[in-house]
Amino acid sequence: MNLDWSIVWQSRGPLLEGALVTILLTALTMMIAVPGGIVLALMRGSRLRPVAWFATGFVELFRNLPLLLLVYWAFYVMPVLTGLGLPPFATGLAALCLNVSAYNSETFRSGINSIRRGQSEAGLALGMSRSEVFRQIVLPQAWRRVLPILASTWVSLFKDTSLVSVIAVGELAHTAMQIRSQSFRVLEMLTAMAAIYWLLGYPQAKIVDWIHRKYGVRE
Amino acid sequence: MTVFVRKNADKPPMLVYENVKKCYGTFMAVNGVSLHVNAGEVVCLIGPSGSGKSTLLRCTNALETIDGGEIRFEGKPLPTKDAEIRQIRQRMGMVFQSFELFPHKTALENVSIGLTTVKKMATEKARTRAIALLTKVGLADKTANYPANLSGGQQQRVAIARALAMEPHVMLFDEPTSALDPETVGEVLNVMRNLAQEGMTMIVVTHEMSFARRVANWVVVFERGQLLEQGPPQQIFEAPTIERTRDFLGHLGWSG
Ligand SMILES: Nc1ncnc2c1ncn2[C@@H]1O[C@H](COP(=O)(O)OP(=O)(O)OP(=O)(O)O)[C@@H](O)[C@H]1O
Ligand SMILES: [Mg+2]
Repeated sequence: MNLDWSIVWQSRGPLLEGALVTILLTALTMMIAVPGGIVLALMRGSRLRPVAWFATGFVELFRNLPLLLLVYWAFYVMPVLTGLGLPPFATGLAALCLNVSAYNSETFRSGINSIRRGQSEAGLALGMSRSEVFRQIVLPQAWRRVLPILASTWVSLFKDTSLVSVIAVGELAHTAMQIRSQSFRVLEMLTAMAAIYWLLGYPQAKIVDWIHRKYGVRE
Repeated sequence: MTVFVRKNADKPPMLVYENVKKCYGTFMAVNGVSLHVNAGEVVCLIGPSGSGKSTLLRCTNALETIDGGEIRFEGKPLPTKDAEIRQIRQRMGMVFQSFELFPHKTALENVSIGLTTVKKMATEKARTRAIALLTKVGLADKTANYPANLSGGQQQRVAIARALAMEPHVMLFDEPTSALDPETVGEVLNVMRNLAQEGMTMIVVTHEMSFARRVANWVVVFERGQLLEQGPPQQIFEAPTIERTRDFLGHLGWSG
C-alpha cells in the first residue's frame, strides 16, 4: 500500500482553519448554552405552571433526540418553520445549543437543588429578595458543584461538533472529509483528523480531570 | 403571693400572637397559640420535639405563612406583600440550629452581605461595621476565615453577628446550641447572655434549661402545637402548675 503523507502537510492551512472553526463552535455553543441552561433550570422551578411546563417540554425533547437528527432537523425543518434561512454555521450552532442547553439545564437544576433550603432561608431572613438570594447565595455555591460536569460536557461537545459536518459547516471533520474526497487519500486524512482531534482533546480532558480534583469532592 | 409583672408591661408589646394556626396538609403543627413578647424581654420556648416551636418561630418572620389567627409585630399585622415582608425581616434577626453561614464567603463577608445587599451600604462602611460586630462576639481575629475553618461555636457566633448587623429589634434563635459540641456551647450562650443584658428582645427555642432558667424573663411550654403553660421561669421550673410540664422537665432530668 502506498501512503503519501505529504497531503496532510499540504492541507495544513484548511485543516488549521477547520480546527479553529471547531473550537469556535464549541466555545460559542457553551457561551450560549450555559446561560441558556440556567434560564431553563429557573423556568422549570417557576411557580408559573405554563412556564415550568414549557421548560420541561423543551428540555425533555431536545435532551432525548439524537444530536445528528437535531442537526438535520435544524437544517431542513427549522427554515420552513421559522422562515429564517440561516447559513450552515449558524444552523449547526443552533442545533448544538438546543441540545447542550437542555443538558446544562439538568446539570444546573441538580446543582441548585443540592443547595440546602436553609441557605436560602438565611438569605431571606436578612431581608434579601428571592433574586438576590439566587444570585448571591445559591448560584455561586451551585456553580462550584456543576463546574466539573460542565467541563465534561465541554469535552464531549468538542468531539460532537463533528456531527455538524453533515450540513457542510467548515469545521475540522468536514474540512478533512473534503480534502479526502478530492485527493482520495482516505487513510492519511482520517489518521490526520484523528491525530488533530486527539491532540486538541487530550489536554482538555486533562484540564477536566484537574477541575474534578479541585472542585469535585468538596463538602 | 406577689404578682409577677412582666418587663415593659406598661408599653404595647413588640410581638403579639393571637390564636395562631399553621397546618401542613391536615396536620396542625401550631394549633391556636396566643402569647405576646414585650420589648427587652427574653422569651424561651421549650417543649418536646415536634411540638411546633420552630414552626412558630418561622411564622414570626414569615418564612412560613400562617393559616389562621394573627401575628402583630410592633403594632401591625405581618404583611403579605413581598417587599413589605422584606422590610419586616430586616427588623428581625434569625439564628438557625445549623448556622447556615454562607460557605463561599468569609466570616466578614457573611456579616456584611446583608448591609451591602439589603441596606445598600458602601463596602468600606459595611466592612467596618462587620469588624465591630465580629469583635463583639469575640472573633476579631477570624474575620478572614471561611466557615469551613471555624469551629461550630465560632460559626454560630458569626451567624449571630450576621443577624445583628441588620440592627434588628428582635432576635429569633432556633436551638442555637443544639448542633454544637459541648465544649463550644458555653461561648455561644455567653454571647446570647450579653445580648440579653444589653436589652435585646429575644425569642429563644432551646433545650438548654439552665439558660432558660437563668436568662429568660418568660418561659413558654409547648406541646403538640399548643401552649401547655407560660410564666416566669421561677414558676415554670420550680412550681409548674401543669402536671405535663413537670413530666416534660422531669424527662430532661430537671428536678426543680
Ligand atoms: N414543612 C413541613 N411539612 C410537613 N410537616 C412539617 C413541616 N415542618 C414541620 N412539620 C411538622 O410540624 C411539627 C412541628 O415541627 P417543629 O419543627 O415546629 O417542631 P419543634 O418543636 O421545633 O421540634 P424540635 O424540638 O424537634 O425542633 C412536627 O411534627 C413536624 O414534623
Ligand atoms: Mg425545632
